Amino acid sequence: MSFKPGKEIRKEYITVGFLYEALKGRLKLETVTNVGFENHINDKNLHRPGLALAGYVALFTYHRVQVFGNTEMRYLQSMPLEKRIESFGTLFKFQIPCIIITDNNTMDVELVKIASDHNVPVFRTPLETTKAIYFLGDFLDDQFSPQASIHGSFVDVYGVGLLFVGRSGIGKSEITLDLIERGHRLVADDVVSITRKGEGILMGAGTDLVKHFMEIRGLGIIDVRSIFGIRSIRFQKRVEVVVELMEWKADAEFTRTGLDESTIPILEVETPHVKLPIFPGKNITVIAEVIALNYLLKHYGYDAAQEFAKKLEKVIAQKSQKNKRAIDYFEHDFE
Amino acid sequence: MIEKTVTIKNRAGLHTRPAAALVKLAAKFQSEFFIFKDGMEINGKSIIGVMTLAAEQGSTLLLKFVGEDEEISSKEIVGLFERGFDEA
Repeated sequence: MSFKPGKEIRKEYITVGFLYEALKGRLKLETVTNVGFENHINDKNLHRPGLALAGYVALFTYHRVQVFGNTEMRYLQSMPLEKRIESFGTLFKFQIPCIIITDNNTMDVELVKIASDHNVPVFRTPLETTKAIYFLGDFLDDQFSPQASIHGSFVDVYGVGLLFVGRSGIGKSEITLDLIERGHRLVADDVVSITRKGEGILMGAGTDLVKHFMEIRGLGIIDVRSIFGIRSIRFQKRVEVVVELMEWKADAEFTRTGLDESTIPILEVETPHVKLPIFPGKNITVIAEVIALNYLLKHYGYDAAQEFAKKLEKVIAQKSQKNKRAIDYFEHDFE
Repeated sequence: MIEKTVTIKNRAGLHTRPAAALVKLAAKFQSEFFIFKDGMEINGKSIIGVMTLAAEQGSTLLLKFVGEDEEISSKEIVGLFERGFDEA
């Protein structure tokens, strides 16, 4: 009955309209044509169609967002209008989602009309190509990265992202509330959506609807931001440790030294995994803080379990030095 | 109550890994489990206690088991010592 992360979901496509709404601020996008907002984008990569304009279309990745930078625009400008129309027209033998012109370049009305007639939206941005590609790539990467939804509570404890999981009613929300009260920050309760960023980084956030509301059994719904203030919440955080709360059972195995570090795969990323037995009178909040601090210590190169093991091996090796007190007291020192 | 004397067989002694194996095994039984060595008495279910013994190869320990399942508990735990904690 061990914890299993939710099913992986991936977006199949986003519409051009969605991209425009999301990026018009950051990219200062300006619409050149007003068609094709319903076109689908289904690839996180971008394409610069220089070779396709030159006539080589064998490997043309037409389904990607097409970026026209200075190279493409100057190449078109270098030709007389007729040739220019012919060259530009080559692209429209394929179904391209949209065109983004960078660096404040302008496109001839004739060319804009071709795009319009083929229902391909054209946008302009004043940003230079590398910057525009950076923003576009980042946005598309995020949109098309694998996601999963996990039943748990996600809290930033001393800057370490602790994801609490365990069966319903075991007390995840109560521990979360206790942590918030001690000055830690809530990211999400109950439904945590996890996104894999790049290779091997997991980001967790709440859903738009639930954002910083939580249910406490016997109390009902509370709004953490209103009660504890702005410092008690944050919108997203990297997931660093999964803390699994379990009822204590005599036959269940829990680590005793911490040398055997276990991990659990979430969206194929191996994430440190702590199984925590709970029983009445045990202060899980303090233990959660210690988990976070111990993670930080390890991150800074100090592993307490390993240090202790090394010390012990040294003492076993030098037989005579055994069982010394930690300190030899001074005579007549009774403190 | 059952008392048994055991000797540490493996070369590295009762270091961290065997200590963890020992307390995990001991935790499976209801019986209380104590270890005596060099005038020290420690609880055999406490990892720090067991490691404090720093028992090297060839040292002898007195084990004490008290409780309902002391028979099976002593048998299994003595077995672990005799196998040298499954180490060389």
